[in-house]
Amino acid sequence: MRLHGLKSVLLALLLCASAAASAHRFHFGMTDISYNARTESTEIVHTYTAHDIDALLLNLYGRQFDLSDVEDQAVLRTYVERHFWLADKDGKKLPVTWIGMTADAQSVVIYQELAATPLSAAAVIRQGMLVDFLAEQVNTVNLNEGGAVRSLTFLRQTLEQPAR
Amino acid sequence: MLLRPIPCVLAALFVSSTTHADDFQLQRVLVEGARASQLGIADSAGAGSAGAKDLAGRIAYRPGELLEVTPGLIASQHSGEGKANQFYLRGFNLDHGTDLATWVDGMPVNQRSHAHGQGWTDLNFLIPELVGRLDYRKGPYSAREGDFSSAGVASLSYANRLVKSIASATVGQDGYARTMLAGSPEVAGGSLLYALELMKNDGPWTRPDGYRKVNAVLRYSQGYANNGWNVTAMSYSGHWNSTDQIPLRAVEDGRIGRFDLIDDSDGGKARRQSISGIWRSTDTDSASKVSAYVIRNELELFSNFTYFLNDPVNGDQFAQPDRRVTTGVDATHTWHMHRSDTLSSDLTVGAQLQNDNIYNGLYDTRKRARIATTREDHIVETSGAVFVENATRWSDALRTVVGVRANNYRFRVDGDRPENAGKAHDTLVTPTLNIAYGPWASTELYANYGHGFHSNDARGTVATVDPKTLDAVDRTPGLVRSRGVEFGLRTEAIPKMQMSLAVYRLDFDSELTYIGDAGNTEAGDPSRRYGIEFSNYYRPYKWLSVDFDAAWARARSLGNRIPGAIEGVAQLGVTVDRSGPWSGSLRLRWFGPRPLIEDDSVRSKASVTLNGRVGYQLAKDLQLELEAFNLTNRRASAIDYFYESQLAGETAPVADMHFHPIEPRSLRLTLVKTW
Repeated sequence: MRLHGLKSVLLALLLCASAAASAHRFHFGMTDISYNARTESTEIVHTYTAHDIDALLLNLYGRQFDLSDVEDQAVLRTYVERHFWLADKDGKKLPVTWIGMTADAQSVVIYQELAATPLSAAAVIRQGMLVDFLAEQVNTVNLNEGGAVRSLTFLRQTLEQPAR
Repeated sequence: MLLRPIPCVLAALFVSSTTHADDFQLQRVLVEGARASQLGIADSAGAGSAGAKDLAGRIAYRPGELLEVTPGLIASQHSGEGKANQFYLRGFNLDHGTDLATWVDGMPVNQRSHAHGQGWTDLNFLIPELVGRLDYRKGPYSAREGDFSSAGVASLSYANRLVKSIASATVGQDGYARTMLAGSPEVAGGSLLYALELMKNDGPWTRPDGYRKVNAVLRYSQGYANNGWNVTAMSYSGHWNSTDQIPLRAVEDGRIGRFDLIDDSDGGKARRQSISGIWRSTDTDSASKVSAYVIRNELELFSNFTYFLNDPVNGDQFAQPDRRVTTGVDATHTWHMHRSDTLSSDLTVGAQLQNDNIYNGLYDTRKRARIATTREDHIVETSGAVFVENATRWSDALRTVVGVRANNYRFRVDGDRPENAGKAHDTLVTPTLNIAYGPWASTELYANYGHGFHSNDARGTVATVDPKTLDAVDRTPGLVRSRGVEFGLRTEAIPKMQMSLAVYRLDFDSELTYIGDAGNTEAGDPSRRYGIEFSNYYRPYKWLSVDFDAAWARARSLGNRIPGAIEGVAQLGVTVDRSGPWSGSLRLRWFGPRPLIEDDSVRSKASVTLNGRVGYQLAKDLQLELEAFNLTNRRASAIDYFYESQLAGETAPVADMHFHPIEPRSLRLTLVKTW
């Protein structure tokens, strides 16, 4: 579950750019999906800007949430599980489980897992996180299979894409 | 982005070009349970916001006390529970809301030209569990705010969706019981919020209040709050007996007890129904909001504050029925203009229209039966306002908000007395300026200047004779200007601590004064107030928070004291919420002394109350809560007045202190189930 070096720098730059309240903010999400041979599981790590997640929940529920609070994290979990999923070749959703999340004033990182399942089992990816809330949201999904990284870009027009 | 000619010209006053931009006022992200920081957000030290968790943690004897989350504000009661609360803030005795504008979901709560008191603010229709946030702003520094907002504005909004459905049941001492059910299932691609509340409360009074209320909310919403719409129906009805303030002399000589009453037929009934809607659209360059409402309010109110002073035979009970339909539309549009990483500007234009169609009156009654009519009126009060506001972020250190608002009011009064009927109108333009300067990482300074106003009762704007005495009276102006200036500081320099300090002056061209023996408010002399407010919130650990607020004010009118004007108020709250099943909080409130007459020779005593709450998580979705009010069982006044009254058996009027006691220690136990 390690972000690629260049991507880390890019992510840091984007987070900085989005941090200034007055600056134009890029609405983006980054999802790294990789197979961990040691645990034999597919690991999923999402990174979003904290402001976008905060604004999403504020405008959905009309109140502010504390994303360091487990009860409040459950509210985000419900949203994540509705808007991000993996499906097999028959269109059946794969059992992605929620591992946890971390949040600070800059970013929200969400950890999920597809237990005892290789990434190759995923035929379709739906990544609609924040897209219903922010029309300009761009979500990038990086698929890491055996060290080869492929990137897919999800926009409002393309919420579902084949994984291979 | 398309710009229309007039807004374009206005925009050009502030910026010369626009670029693709983004969200405007960003809420600070909430982490580690801290109260959301207002640094870089608020325009003054007296503005802030309380979230759902803050509000849920309050220990409120009555729903109006939720407003006490505003530092320096006191909500009290001098009569039966169904009556509007008595508010105090910034050196004002606000009576039932004369200079405190309260909004719920875009609907004004203050009722203008009300039978009992100007700006009548009855919050008994509020269901606390539905409130997502409460925003407050003290002082007349925003062009967005109009009537009654000189001391402050409290704006509450209901959530479109609940995280979980809630069912709660409460039993308490003094005949208190409450049940509440609320949920928000997804229906037809949107959310259907429903809530039903049933409540009864007798209170500690010798003659039980017998307050019964039924309260319901139904809302359908689609989309997000900033890009979506909702339509809401609300219905509230309540009836109660009142134990009005009692004369101190009768308690001291043993004629009556502290919880006794003089007139055993005082009380009232209230009904409120509303349909309202809000539509909002937000994109990267602009935001629009339109809200509209129709509110029907009905009140029957029977009071007797002077007992047998005016009528030794029948007594002085009077009725002030008021029924009205209030309709209104508010619209705002904001253009966000973004020039560089540090320079951006929001230009907002807005319009507000409100019409009140009111039938009210003042009658002499005996045991709620009318025996004489003092006045009976049909009032149509229509107001319109437009405002322009520019918020510019000049650099990371400097922000300004400049605004101007134009208000026009039209009053038409038809009554039972032709000499007190007629038409009047008034216009007022109010400017505002706010500067926030914070070159430091965690400290900001504020300078605020602004004009505000309150409207006077429409009946006073056309009156030529006093309907009671038939003496000639002068007409009052429709709108009364206030001028405020304030310097403030907000700092988070001490880790995990939010602190703000404000020093202000507020001048009013005419004070709205409560007339105790008439049970009404009237336009009085000019006034000047100075004050200082200090507010702190400290969260050293995630499980422990401490808040402390203190406010002091000096109020004078033509060199005299202003009866009831609050001089000091302080609150200390401690909340503990460990990850285990137990949680708890304690809140100490000091309600400072007030002068009761102009020469300050009679004063009310300060009162201190301690409330507490303990919660225990029985299961994941089941919580038990015990609330305790007035834990130390203090004998103090919720309110004091000084005026003349006459009791049965007394041969002459007696000038005396009249008071309504605070409720003795009482407990309430609540079981809350969520799913």
